[in-house]
Amino acid sequence: MPGDRGVGGPAAPVLPAPYRTVLKPYGRALTGLARSRPDIVCLSGDLTRQCEIDLFQAEFPDRFIHAGMAEANMIGVAGALARSGLIPFVHTFGVFATRRPLDQIVNAVAYPGLPVRIVGFMPGVSSPGGPSHQAIEDVALMRALPGMTVLDVADATETAQAVAAIADLPGPAYLRLKRGEIPVIFPADHPFSLTRAQLLGDEPAAGGTGAALVASGMMVAPALAAASVLRGSGVRVTVLNVPVIKPLDTATVLAAAAGAQVVITAENHSVIGGLGSAVAEAMAEAGLGRPLRRIGLADTFADGALSAPYLFARYGLTTQHVIDAAWAGLSQPGPPPRAPSPALRPGDYAPV
Amino acid sequence: MSSHGVRPGTGLPPAGSASYIATDDQPERRRTALNTETSGQGSEASAAQLRRLADRIRLRAVQMVAPQGLGYLGQALSAAEQYAAVYGAALRPGTDRVVCSPGHYVLAAYAAAAETGLIDQALLASYGQDGSSLAAIGTEHGPVPDYTCGSLGQGLSAAAGFALADRLRGRPGGRTFAFLSDGELQEGQVWEAAMFAGHYRLSRLTVLLDANNSQVDGPVDGITTIEPIAAKWQAFGWDAADLDGHDAAGIAAALAAAAGAARPAVLICRTSTRHGLDCLPPDADGHFIKLPPGLADAAVAELTARLDRHAR
Repeated sequence: MPGDRGVGGPAAPVLPAPYRTVLKPYGRALTGLARSRPDIVCLSGDLTRQCEIDLFQAEFPDRFIHAGMAEANMIGVAGALARSGLIPFVHTFGVFATRRPLDQIVNAVAYPGLPVRIVGFMPGVSSPGGPSHQAIEDVALMRALPGMTVLDVADATETAQAVAAIADLPGPAYLRLKRGEIPVIFPADHPFSLTRAQLLGDEPAAGGTGAALVASGMMVAPALAAASVLRGSGVRVTVLNVPVIKPLDTATVLAAAAGAQVVITAENHSVIGGLGSAVAEAMAEAGLGRPLRRIGLADTFADGALSAPYLFARYGLTTQHVIDAAWAGLSQPGPPPRAPSPALRPGDYAPV
Repeated sequence: MSSHGVRPGTGLPPAGSASYIATDDQPERRRTALNTETSGQGSEASAAQLRRLADRIRLRAVQMVAPQGLGYLGQALSAAEQYAAVYGAALRPGTDRVVCSPGHYVLAAYAAAAETGLIDQALLASYGQDGSSLAAIGTEHGPVPDYTCGSLGQGLSAAAGFALADRLRGRPGGRTFAFLSDGELQEGQVWEAAMFAGHYRLSRLTVLLDANNSQVDGPVDGITTIEPIAAKWQAFGWDAADLDGHDAAGIAAALAAAAGAARPAVLICRTSTRHGLDCLPPDADGHFIKLPPGLADAAVAELTARLDRHAR
């Protein structure tokens, strides 16, 4: 679709890499929102500081509820709080927020369509704590539940915007958040939307593109880095940021895919059931035939290690993996270009 | 659990204090706008009235199950007095909440609500039928209660959430009545919720535990040992009473006593899934009773005769 930027709007600007990082953008956003929203209550499953809600607890102790290590009960309590007119935000790691209390989420939250916000930290292989701590199927589980909004945000700006955006959703939401130092990829006026995916960067679409990189969460930064390298080698690339995996902005995804020769999805999650599956479903149902490569955990658990970067490299989630997938998908001649290894100052963030 | 007056570590205002949270501008997601005109309000009901209400619930349950020829009648038979005591002597519609944790018991709630004027009695005829809001295993679409769930062991968490919400929203007067079954005690979530309610001293929460010693695979005590039930709850910070579950007046009295307790309370109601229907065969499966037309007629006749006798 030469020159067509109607779907998805104009490309959203991104800040230059490497990105500076901030601490506790989620905790600050929730606490800030709670100042004007007395109906917001905060539940913690024994991971208060880790989920940044020590900030909330300090400022609003009357609205902070320790549920302890009892996720099933925490979800059930949250459902009843929501039924009573409150807006509960429930916090723990992504594994304990989704796979452990799945039946409770179904029956106490999703089926009644209650405005419970389930916030799961430490997505995918960002935790070196082994499969017990790695939420690699949380998006798939939550995406399968009717009425559940599923978000996997990329940076501190989106995190804050997402908190405000989901506060008034009539139904439930699952928000997946990186823990610790959070990069700032987008400027403060980033056009976050619960209904629209965004093209990123300044690459013009006229004439179509070789590869459409469709990414969410922690894989947005590698997708941007890969796009920069590929463009340097003469490959036309579109980067589409999909912070809301459900409901999927199908129109924007299809527009990006239609203009490309190959579609690469990238997610810090199993390739089964998450962003890659959602994009595949959308393309297949639209009859849009394009080669599709899914970057993600290839139907495998990721064993423990000292560092997350090791796991990203071992399990195929690096900038280089995105480059390689696009290069191969486009049948480019010769070896693929190499991803840079930028020298980072303390506090800066660059993808593996 | 500390025994002194403050609630350590809860971070919550004492019950009855002004809540931080506004109360008037936030809509309640009540499942039903309950009719406040009810014969069941207050505690004026006599022992005879409650006994009669329990049999009316039994009769309604028989009539609801009869068209299918089988169903969750045993649950209504064992819990009839508990529902009679709550709906007939304690429940203040619009103020208090009712949780029916095992959704298979929901016919007892439908029957009790119909008998006390909370829902249209004509609705009961649709129980369990295609397209009906009165599903055999309770769903979100039923007119009562405030919460029920067919996936067992989850109701106490919801009940604790209701009681906590009342506290957070500055509504200390509301009570939450939670009907549980003894088989559910096998689910770990019940004990998560019991620990939570004990810690937060949710004293406005009262559990009616139908100890009918019946579950799908047979008697509960033949599958897991759940005794000593009262000691377990007491150890979790609850007041516990062991009762004859077919003494409606006794349950009503215990409900009244629990209203003034400083801790959540559980009433362990010892019951039988065949109680009140002598016509049932002795080997009737308490979880899912067969009720062919002849037996249904006999059951209606037995209950009608007893109700007529007690009306005089």
